[in-house]
Amino acid sequence: MSTQDLTASPLLRQPLLSDEDVARSRDRSRVHLARHHDRRWHLLWLLVGPGILAMLGENDGPSMIAYASDGAQYGLGFFIPLIPILFAMAFVVQEMCMRVGAVTHRGYGELVLQRYGRVWGWFGAGDLCLTNLITLIAEFVAIRVGLAYFHLGAGVAVALGLILVLFTLSGGRYWRWERTVLGLALFNGLFLVAAILVKPHLGAVAGAFSFTPLPGGSLNTLLLLLASTIGATVTPWMIFFQQSASADKGMTPKDVAHGRYDTALGAVLAATFGIGALVAGASLLHHGSGIEAFAGAGIPAALARVSGGAVGTVFALGLIEAGAVAILTISASTAYAAGECIGVSHSFNSSPRKAAVFYAANIGVALIAAVVILIPGAPLLSIALNANVLATVLLPVSLVFVLTLANDRALMGRWVNRRSTNLIGIAVIVFVGVCGAAYGIDSFLQTVHLIGS
Amino acid sequence: MTAVPETPPLPDRTPVADVPEQEELFMHLEHDQLVAQTFRPVPPALLGRRAVIGLWALRIFAVLVSLMVIYTFIARLH
Repeated sequence: MSTQDLTASPLLRQPLLSDEDVARSRDRSRVHLARHHDRRWHLLWLLVGPGILAMLGENDGPSMIAYASDGAQYGLGFFIPLIPILFAMAFVVQEMCMRVGAVTHRGYGELVLQRYGRVWGWFGAGDLCLTNLITLIAEFVAIRVGLAYFHLGAGVAVALGLILVLFTLSGGRYWRWERTVLGLALFNGLFLVAAILVKPHLGAVAGAFSFTPLPGGSLNTLLLLLASTIGATVTPWMIFFQQSASADKGMTPKDVAHGRYDTALGAVLAATFGIGALVAGASLLHHGSGIEAFAGAGIPAALARVSGGAVGTVFALGLIEAGAVAILTISASTAYAAGECIGVSHSFNSSPRKAAVFYAANIGVALIAAVVILIPGAPLLSIALNANVLATVLLPVSLVFVLTLANDRALMGRWVNRRSTNLIGIAVIVFVGVCGAAYGIDSFLQTVHLIGS
Repeated sequence: MTAVPETPPLPDRTPVADVPEQEELFMHLEHDQLVAQTFRPVPPALLGRRAVIGLWALRIFAVLVSLMVIYTFIARLH
């Protein structure tokens, strides 16, 4: 079919609709109807998705292990108030991504590539692929740790992860993919159940919000946990995912307010469940000899020993869920980035035949990560924590482009950032950059024996 | 002569709805939301000299710290 044929439609010379347009239009018609009939809850139900998925997707295996390790190492103080602050930071960043996606109908990767040049676009995609691959390995590790509690091996973890990716991709619609993953993501609440089961002292939990000073102990371990906790809340894949998913969902500037509710709800749920993991982990305080004590046997086994079998079981199931949901969202973000940077179709509303690169990247990256975890003797906990650290270190560059895009008046028109959003955004970039660099430089200098531990 | 920006190949857009149905479907999508429109590249923005220097400085810094993290991770495995 020639280009002329495509544009010479009888409908006011508009181009013919592709199957992706038709699928998106049908989803949008329900939004129009709900808005027209003023069905507020139905409208909210239709428009939530990318924000909750980005936030709960980031409450992934390594993140929950990092939160529980924080609790096991330092107790409730310091890290409990840090988690809501970090998710507030995540909200600021993700709201910008949602807004840019809804206004421009384009993903982060393609906008950076087209607007600021191929070098920066491919740098961003390269960072994403590297951190996504390592994070996906860590997700399979988390599933493996969870399944090990039930005496199931790495093969089952690999099979479970890959079957889930194939199953969710088989729907051929963004809406179906989103709702399936949302349904799974709600089981992130298992970490809250685990926290309730350890029967924490409520006064101690509330008291932790009064900001205790920096905990003592090894500075490097503290920096590792701090950097990995930051990497547990804001990461490059979330940026790619939420902007691309908002565009794929068909969000428009009219939906920005609901996009904010979606992102805020995701942040609140993720912070609550993250604190749940930390509180559960805190029951291990004084029962281990450092975070490395929880490798291999895993945190669920340690929790079962200290707090009872039910806590161990719930935490193990939570880790399986966290890993599974993150595999789906992180694979999707890789697929969006691949399609956007190569310039081919990149939508769940396209068929695998028409979006071969998108679907191949989605499955391929999960497959590579799955193969890696079958290697015996891999340092599981170390991979999980370092995946988050690497994401934190590479994040500031992506954040700068998010801020630049959200301030690009030619793209965003009246939807550009307000001054207050810019100030908070800059503070987030500086904070993330300093924390990531502090751990990276301190550990490197220790490793090459230029400073003592 | 003005250089024409390179346009990526459009995906296969076989018509999938008849004309009356298309009219209705068009109503629910914004014009720039159509796949045909999203495949048109946005014009490039001009970054100032200071912005470019700042971005490269940040990029190099991030790569250096990443290499430190990866080196430390590998060294600690042994």
